[in-house]
Amino acid sequence: MRFASSARLAAVVAAAALALTACGSGSSDSGSTGGAVDGKGKKLSVLTGVNAQYSAQQKQWFTDIAAKFKAQTGADVEFETFASANDELTRIQTSVVSGQGPDVYSLGTTFTPTAYATKAFVTLSDDDWKKVGGKDRFNPAALGISGPDEQHQAGIPFVSRPFVMAYNKELLAAAGIDKPATSWDELAVQAKKLTNPATGTFGLATGYKDNFDPWKFIWAMSVQAGNPLVDGKNLKLDDPAVKKAYETYFGWLTKDKVVDPASVGWSNSNAVAAFAAGKAGFLLMTTSSSIPTLEKSAIVGKYAYTTMPTTAPGESSPKGDGDKAASILSGDNVVVADYSKQKDLAFAYIKLITSKEEQLNYQKIFGDLPANNEALKSLEDPKLKPIADAAAKSKATPFTGAWGDIQLALLNVTVQSIPELSSGSVSDSALQARLKDAQSKAQASLDRASKS
Amino acid sequence: MSTDSFREARTADVPAAGAPQPGGGSVPPSGRSVRRKGLSERNRPLWMLIPGGALMLIIIVAPMLLGIYMSVLNLDQYTLRKWVSSPFVGLENFVEALTDSPLLHAVWLSVSYSLIAMIVTVPLGIAAAVATQNAFKGRALIRSVFLIPYVLPSFVVATVWRTMFQPNGVVDSALGTFGIDPGLWLNGPQTYWTLILVQIWASWPFIYLLALSGLQSVDHEVHEASALDGALWWNKLRYVIFPYLKGPLSLAFLIGMLHHINNFTLPFVLFGVPAPADVEVLPILTYVTSFQSFRFGLSAAMAFVSLVLVAIPLFIYLRAVKLDDAETPGGKK
Repeated sequence: MRFASSARLAAVVAAAALALTACGSGSSDSGSTGGAVDGKGKKLSVLTGVNAQYSAQQKQWFTDIAAKFKAQTGADVEFETFASANDELTRIQTSVVSGQGPDVYSLGTTFTPTAYATKAFVTLSDDDWKKVGGKDRFNPAALGISGPDEQHQAGIPFVSRPFVMAYNKELLAAAGIDKPATSWDELAVQAKKLTNPATGTFGLATGYKDNFDPWKFIWAMSVQAGNPLVDGKNLKLDDPAVKKAYETYFGWLTKDKVVDPASVGWSNSNAVAAFAAGKAGFLLMTTSSSIPTLEKSAIVGKYAYTTMPTTAPGESSPKGDGDKAASILSGDNVVVADYSKQKDLAFAYIKLITSKEEQLNYQKIFGDLPANNEALKSLEDPKLKPIADAAAKSKATPFTGAWGDIQLALLNVTVQSIPELSSGSVSDSALQARLKDAQSKAQASLDRASKS
Repeated sequence: MSTDSFREARTADVPAAGAPQPGGGSVPPSGRSVRRKGLSERNRPLWMLIPGGALMLIIIVAPMLLGIYMSVLNLDQYTLRKWVSSPFVGLENFVEALTDSPLLHAVWLSVSYSLIAMIVTVPLGIAAAVATQNAFKGRALIRSVFLIPYVLPSFVVATVWRTMFQPNGVVDSALGTFGIDPGLWLNGPQTYWTLILVQIWASWPFIYLLALSGLQSVDHEVHEASALDGALWWNKLRYVIFPYLKGPLSLAFLIGMLHHINNFTLPFVLFGVPAPADVEVLPILTYVTSFQSFRFGLSAAMAFVSLVLVAIPLFIYLRAVKLDDAETPGGKK
């Protein structure tokens, strides 16, 4: 109830803000066309996620970019940060309702469809794309979750954070494995060779209690088996491919016994820690942001990244879009608010931060891969190569406002199965019932999405 | 009760002596009761309600009315932008909340867990208050230590417990030395008891504090009188001291229940979202409906239904213990 009332409070604050705007001065449209945007005396407001891992560097980056932007356009940039997705959502809600707030927002990719559904952000015209440096400056795969189709895109790719797996070269060599698996079946076989309960070493490290990872596995295995989960107005969670995906994912723990039994309580960071301690052959579902941790760990110099398997469980080769589904399309998009009175200035800012130099600079500081195509191709660090490969082989999750609910339903199947996972087996009937429940809840959400 | 009315009269005439009389005239010596009435009714400083009242209006009443309005709208991420004009759906949200959502289950979980936690914490709090009532060496230290769970932010409490309850964590290995395999704490049916356990740990000092304040208000004479009457410790506690605690403890019970029912941080941090079905308590359910599924209208309807469901027993309880009735001296004790 407390939180429901904070939602109400947000609405009131928004209404109050609306009342105040009426008194405030409405700054006029920047209105300049062609050439550099003149933003003298103006201030652009940008909302972006706080980077807890590199907070000092982020502050420095804000200062540097603001100085460069000032030099280019004469305008100031004011950065605001949000600490969590929920924090961001509250900001978006109040801004959407009141019609004022930041000019530019940074959004996670899987949240982009939900934000798009509010219709509060600019769908870019050809002209608008030119203002941000042209659509062709971006990695084509990264544009996959910018909008429902190519003509309607609101999200401008800023960085890519594709999911890959890391492997321990020493452990693999000791087990006689010369290269990491490219199918999930083969991965399970390799994992068995790597598992040695006597030394506490397990083939795979993954966290079953993570708030995101479980649905990403299910999504990937299902897509690779030819089921994209959403087919127009129909959701297909009660499909055999989805069930097989859960069975494989749960099976690592219950049948193959290639993961630490404690991982039923792990989040992704626990899995990273286990891998960093040299206790696991493979670390699944990780990003380049694990580099700083691993570089300081016991296995420094002994690990490498590679793309995750793209062949669905039980298959011999990828089906459908499978080979392009090594990872969900992951990273950050930037969007321009529809109510912004200085859209040209906003586009000029985005043009600056998505330029090749700035993208490479950002990569060096924070580890996230460039969305700028040229910058992505110019990366030379061999460690980053497979991650860059995964960026090109990333497939967007279905672009629907219902995705939040679908994701939640997929995750919920795992959450409710954990007690059985821990006791050694998830019964077929229980899994079937949970999938049915997930299907009906998420389908209802999809129905609402297609009605609106 | 005779001591009560005596004290009431005594405290009442202290401010009265210094306060200017509205009538301005001299006071007849027999007019003590008239004077008291005059002060409490004619000279009541009602304007003092304005700041608090205005804040109440802005922070509680207005959002609540808005919430009720939201509950009859089909308000979700598709209609949020022009939310005032989003489609009116009447009672549809309420029907869905009551028939096609886990709301009633959530209400049951919330109320039952709060009640169990309360029933356990009350004796714990009283025992701790009684134990630290008489001076002994190190009492100040013990009293401070007792307050630690209460001053720690909920978020910290939940994070620490979550770490301890991890599979193969501290709790498991401690129990393991006695050959006990407790199973999972943070998933499955046992989560309900985990929540209760952590809630008890975090909230018993609150009962302790209020019980302590009740004990402090017991006049020295009362202790002397019961000693003279030859009452032994249990009889003294049961028939002399506990009646003094009734007021503070009723209040503690009420505030504690509301606090538990509203507690979002503890289950959210302990179990995450989506929560295991056994701890999908009210605040978690409304949160998920609002901020994961973006069904703001449905969530407002849920919040409203639960408000009504909680308000009914609350009202009955308030009437029963007369906490709302400041005129009754018993209400303060």
